[in-house]
Amino acid sequence: MIFLLLLLPSLTAALLAFAVRPYRNFVGRASALLSLAPLGAALAFAGQTFGGGTPVFGPGDLLRVDSLSALFMVCVAFAGLLALWFSPGLAGANHFEPGALRRYHVFINLFIFAMLLTVSANNVGIMWIAVEATTIFSAMIIPLTLTKSSVEASWKYILICSVGIALAFVGTVFAYFDFVTLSGHPENALNWPVLVAAAPHLQPDVLRLAFVFILIGYGTKAGLAPMHTWLPDAHSEAPSPLSALMSGVLLTVALYTIMRWKVVVDAALGPAYSNQLLIALGVLSLGIGAFSLVVQHNYKRMLAYSSIEHVGLMCIGLGLGPLGIFAALLHLIGHTAAKSMVFIAAGEVLHRFESTDLAGVSGLLRAMPRTGVLFAAGVLALVGLPPFGLFMSEFALVRAGVVAGHGWLMAVVLVLLAVAFVSLIRHLNQMLYGEPPAGVPMGEQRDWRFAWLAVNVAVLVIFGLVLPAPVAAWLNQIVEIVSR
Amino acid sequence: MGEDTFSQLAALGSTLTLIFGLVVLWRHSLHAYVGAFQWQSLVLAGMFVLVGYYGGDPALYVVAAVFWALKVMIIPRYLNRLHRDIGAAQEDTPYVNTATSLVVGGLLVVMAYAMTRPMVLASTLPTRGGIPLAMGLILVGLFVLITRKKALTQIVGFLVLENGIALLAVLGTYGIPLIIELGVFLDVLLGFLVMQVFVYHIHGTFETIDVDQLNQLKH
Repeated sequence: MIFLLLLLPSLTAALLAFAVRPYRNFVGRASALLSLAPLGAALAFAGQTFGGGTPVFGPGDLLRVDSLSALFMVCVAFAGLLALWFSPGLAGANHFEPGALRRYHVFINLFIFAMLLTVSANNVGIMWIAVEATTIFSAMIIPLTLTKSSVEASWKYILICSVGIALAFVGTVFAYFDFVTLSGHPENALNWPVLVAAAPHLQPDVLRLAFVFILIGYGTKAGLAPMHTWLPDAHSEAPSPLSALMSGVLLTVALYTIMRWKVVVDAALGPAYSNQLLIALGVLSLGIGAFSLVVQHNYKRMLAYSSIEHVGLMCIGLGLGPLGIFAALLHLIGHTAAKSMVFIAAGEVLHRFESTDLAGVSGLLRAMPRTGVLFAAGVLALVGLPPFGLFMSEFALVRAGVVAGHGWLMAVVLVLLAVAFVSLIRHLNQMLYGEPPAGVPMGEQRDWRFAWLAVNVAVLVIFGLVLPAPVAAWLNQIVEIVSR
Repeated sequence: MGEDTFSQLAALGSTLTLIFGLVVLWRHSLHAYVGAFQWQSLVLAGMFVLVGYYGGDPALYVVAAVFWALKVMIIPRYLNRLHRDIGAAQEDTPYVNTATSLVVGGLLVVMAYAMTRPMVLASTLPTRGGIPLAMGLILVGLFVLITRKKALTQIVGFLVLENGIALLAVLGTYGIPLIIELGVFLDVLLGFLVMQVFVYHIHGTFETIDVDQLNQLKH
């Protein structure tokens, strides 16, 4: 029942947008309202899994929720809600054509549906199908207005990610091959709990190869270097609510699939193998993200590279054992809150200044006091400044690394974080202060939608000051699932 | 007919599929690519039927039928229409010339044998001899995709790669579960349709489908 509440509203909204032709504003408002239901369902699941339940649904236990999936559901549902409430075409003046708006509302809802399905699928095959679907649906709305750069970005995106995901499928087939060789064709062989139970008896050599394919494949989607090349283009060219979703949750949903497979592989090979690979890819991504931030001229690309940096950090955390996984989960929550807010704010900035150039934006705090403050708070959170949650998680991550005996590596991580810190702050100063360019209207009208962003700020601040005990207990449950 | 015949037929089928994949490396017209892809898919559909028959899994007949409809009928038809709408898309100057491509293709197949050794050793299936060929096809598809300049040829490379995966699944595991297979086909179809929309977009905005010209986005 709750599963229907989780998955059906996005489908309904997509159908509605599909059926109403030409696009009318009430469609946008309806999908914004409908997005409340999945968030409620996700929170209900969080409560259920906190109480120790793992609800399943459908023939062959098609869908299943444990606390790991529930965490991602909450993140996806919340980011989805933000994206839909700030989507173009809810009311009043629009700067997009009705056809483009209609397409946008069909596919952004399908995109959210596919992400929710990814994290609730029990079967790793269905999980793969859903991840591939996220690529297809989001690629459709990156070029909301057809320009050379948006078409180029979406072509790169769909091609690179489809190939990546195809490689993840090769890995899945290898793992299934391993399973079938061991025990024939039982029912639901690709269901995750079945795989985990069988894993200790699987052929290690086959599984090792399978994991390399899975990591490269889903890692492409997660924006891990060196497979990240599509990311800055796609994230910067996409309409801002879509960027908020892609940066805030899509990357971590891809990490989720890696976490699921890591458990299977670790049960067969021990954690050392997957940990080494994760740390190596993580450090590379962190480095490439951090140094690319230095040379940015475009604030949306800047935020995209910051996502690569943060995904790298989470990936390192996942490779550092239970303490690191805890830090990575904490980081993931903070990153979702900060990135979705910053991209929404960036969309407002772009709308007002009509430029994605860093040089084209100055005096943001004077021209847009409210958006400017939110943007600044988000960026300060992203660079890991206290009192925001990401400071705590980065601290926990480095500590986990030192405890795990990776002292030197953590020194490198800290240096890279410092590089990212300095360049982001420099770019932020450039945007916030000074005289706004001539012709940019000053001041902002009251907009009640911004009340939603209070949730982001609250999450960032609360997680930075005190980690509430129930949340910590819940996260520990997830750590147990991932590191058993 | 016993297991020996089955084993030989499976090896023959995999070899044919791989050869149709290699054709893309030395032919230059899109017309030839589509033809090769169509024949390759036809052989693959036959492989599904073959494995379904000997492995005793009637679900594979369904897979074979859907696969045939999708990759022998629908997708080639769309590819040909794209070709007609956009005009001749000769792949005159791929990043790697024909001779080198063929050598690399051969090396990739050798590499596939090394990579899949653990599978071939672990398996007792009569079809296991074809697993390296399937992996080889995957690598060849990947190679086509990264060395060709035309958006349309890249799509062909992607489709060849996917055929390689389908071959791998049918040889190594006698087919993945039906529901997943159907979901994958749906994704393939949707993904292909979106890609072909983008080919029109690229053609419309850049007035070429040479992806070499796609260089608007730099830092």
